[in-house]
Amino acid sequence: MPSSISHSKARDAEVRGVREGALPAGLRQTASHRPGQAQPVPTRDIPLRPWVKMGVFAFAATTLMTAAWEWNARTNIGLRAGDIDDSPQAWAEARRAASSAEVAIVGDSRILFDTDLDRFEKMTGVRPVQAAIVGTNGRALLENFANDAKFKGLLIVGMADTSYFRPQGVGIGGPYLKSFNKNDKPSQLTGLWLDRWLQNYLAFMDSDYRLSRWAPRFDNGWRKGTDSPYDDVWKISETFPGRQYFMWDRIETDPYLQGHARYAWHGFKRPPLPRAVADKVIERSAEAVRRIRARGGDVIFVRPPSAPALRVNEEKSLPRSVGWDRLLVGANAKGIHADDLPQAQKLVLPELSHLSRKCAAVFTDAYVRRLVELTPRLKLRADAPPPLGRTDCAPALPKG
Amino acid sequence: MIFNSLTFLVFFAAVMALHYAPFFSWHQKKINLLLASYLFYAAWNPPFVILLWISTVVDWWAAQWMVRAKREHTRKLWMLISVVVNLGMLGYFKYGGFLLDNFVDLAAAVGVVYHPPGWDIILPVGISFYTFATLSYTLDVYLRRSKPAGSFLNYALFVTFFPHLVAGPIMRPTELVPQFEQPRQARLNQIFFGLALLTLGLFQKVVLADGFLAPVVEAVYDAPGKMPGMLDSWVATLAFAGQIFCDFAGYSTSAIGVALCLGFAMPDNFRFPYGAVGFSDFWRRWHITLSSWLRDYLYIPLGGNRHGQARTYAALMGTMLLGGLWHGANWTFVVWGGLHGLYLSCERWLRSRFKGFTPGRAATLGLALLTFALINITWVFFRAKTFTDAGVVLKGIAGMQAKPDPLIAAGPMILAILIVSAIFGTHLAMRNTTLEAVIERTPSVAIAGIWSVLLFAVIVEQGQGSAFIYFAF
Repeated sequence: MPSSISHSKARDAEVRGVREGALPAGLRQTASHRPGQAQPVPTRDIPLRPWVKMGVFAFAATTLMTAAWEWNARTNIGLRAGDIDDSPQAWAEARRAASSAEVAIVGDSRILFDTDLDRFEKMTGVRPVQAAIVGTNGRALLENFANDAKFKGLLIVGMADTSYFRPQGVGIGGPYLKSFNKNDKPSQLTGLWLDRWLQNYLAFMDSDYRLSRWAPRFDNGWRKGTDSPYDDVWKISETFPGRQYFMWDRIETDPYLQGHARYAWHGFKRPPLPRAVADKVIERSAEAVRRIRARGGDVIFVRPPSAPALRVNEEKSLPRSVGWDRLLVGANAKGIHADDLPQAQKLVLPELSHLSRKCAAVFTDAYVRRLVELTPRLKLRADAPPPLGRTDCAPALPKG
Repeated sequence: MIFNSLTFLVFFAAVMALHYAPFFSWHQKKINLLLASYLFYAAWNPPFVILLWISTVVDWWAAQWMVRAKREHTRKLWMLISVVVNLGMLGYFKYGGFLLDNFVDLAAAVGVVYHPPGWDIILPVGISFYTFATLSYTLDVYLRRSKPAGSFLNYALFVTFFPHLVAGPIMRPTELVPQFEQPRQARLNQIFFGLALLTLGLFQKVVLADGFLAPVVEAVYDAPGKMPGMLDSWVATLAFAGQIFCDFAGYSTSAIGVALCLGFAMPDNFRFPYGAVGFSDFWRRWHITLSSWLRDYLYIPLGGNRHGQARTYAALMGTMLLGGLWHGANWTFVVWGGLHGLYLSCERWLRSRFKGFTPGRAATLGLALLTFALINITWVFFRAKTFTDAGVVLKGIAGMQAKPDPLIAAGPMILAILIVSAIFGTHLAMRNTTLEAVIERTPSVAIAGIWSVLLFAVIVEQGQGSAFIYFAF
């Protein structure tokens, strides 16, 4: 306290700006108390407390709590180290690489989950750059590439019809696109590298299990008309280097999480999409395709599968004949629809919207074999692995 | 670089190691700090370091020549050169697009159609902060409040010192330059207290502002076409009051903590502002270094309260309008500042009308609540991107939406209300004390326990490395 400090010590503290012990509030003045003057060196008080002991205790306690949290993440939640998460910075990194790539992929979560990049590379010798974003309008990403004068490769545009033909808004990827040019700063890049390095050792660093993401999940639809955090989409994927997404294995094996994930889609029920909206989307897509082709690039559309329970509602909102078929005609583009791939029928979609990890390889195998027929830009390697089929990832169908 | 990033943790560890390495002289340590500060700034956008250099060199020489000048008008000329260069850079980068847009609108209003080329200029991070810091140097020398810095290194380090560089507190040269003159080394208790402040600041920013409050604000303010009702509008606006406080006070607290670890003292920038009773009290507690800067270099030169009532009110309004514009190149910020100017003017009039009125406890609480409520109205203009958006929320606040859309889910709403109530309650309870005094009265075990919980929450929240709101100013 002030009385315990000698005059010379107090003076020294004043000059140095830091003093031991807390001054009463009225004595620790700020610039607001000194109008129109040169402001002196500010005074900072160090409360008389055993700070070193307290600090050691706090860091030890935090280490213990964090270790317990990590244990909980691994054993109870089922998170894994090496699942490196995605981020706007990671997408920006992929997007920059995509500018000069031979093949890039854009679209929503379906093409993101359902493309096995390793399989693609083994078959063609080309590893595509994965630039799709969950919950994002593939048309907006297609236009983003159309605006990129450097891109002259093959662009695979994946789609869930309801996402691609959404009347307005970009979706979750909006901020990714908007802040793209801010996410290549040195501090962003080092942050990305450090984050990935840490996530190779720590499982709890998963954005789906951030404190502010899971804490509000006690709200089980309490307020009608709002999207309650409990009903929101929880973690359904794991992410590996190169933005390789796969279905989180707990969604495949845990009935509760699988049931929750299925429920979160609300059956993909949407009101019927006005034909005028579809026409507008097709028109904009055609223009983007034209611009990419004008500088030597090309575009092929891919429609990954969805389970019958969703598909029926997707068809009600936008029939294939109104959306997909007319898009290919309108954009004068080639496309691969999961319905048309015999090897891609009746694959496993644990939460109805995305393929299981093993089935992603089967679907990739199926669509890449079709892709090489549609474009001269890709060829099947002579040593490409043999074709995969439904039995490589799905249980045998009951006889009869 | 931002405090709430992994990059900063590595950077800070390296800076501490260099600062406390025994084999460097004090002069070398200052050079290390200067280089580290440039690195800190360049990590965001390397080319903009040039602006820092321009600001540093121009103001250094302006002050030097001001002191050497024999005639008063020569001194004035150097002061004006400094003001024009600094405000010119600020005006070009921050207000160029805004001025151009307004010029186009004005021309259109008189029937002239003008299509200028697109204004695609990136705002250099923290330019508003370091411009004000360097301006105070030449203005203080011009006003003979202080002498020029004795060494260019000390002055350059004052401008660039990374804890305050990009988002304040806005320091004056007389506050920091003397601290560079003598070797400084923090004692262990000072370092640990600094780390505790850094933890508190990061908790405010990462957990409260970004984690829990921002999504509630966005649910209403970033929902085009939706019509929020009274509940949603109030909760979102209150959440924004909490968010902007935790964001900015969190930055200031972190900055003070970081500086303390290096052995330097930085001034308070917030003093429990939501516990304010009245608006002059609020501005003595909110962003203190900016409000005192505006008072010393704008309000007082405009006449202050020395030239009668009318001039005082005009100076008050002018200061607050420009203060609003400082926050952003948008008319919504000007209205925000104007509302505060209006509040301050009304308060001034009421104080002269009811001299000698001393509120009791209940009246104090009532006035604090009224102050807080009216401040929330101003935040609507601060947060909304357009007047239309602001109008939608204000209509909701007034309960005038015919068919309101429910926008905020119950869970986040409950958590936001709890957090904002805790902030308001804490500010009220601590309005006449300091954090340090409260810590000194609290058992060490409790402080250590709270510290570990805050740190754990920061780690578990992880954060997304999002920039502080005030970075854009």
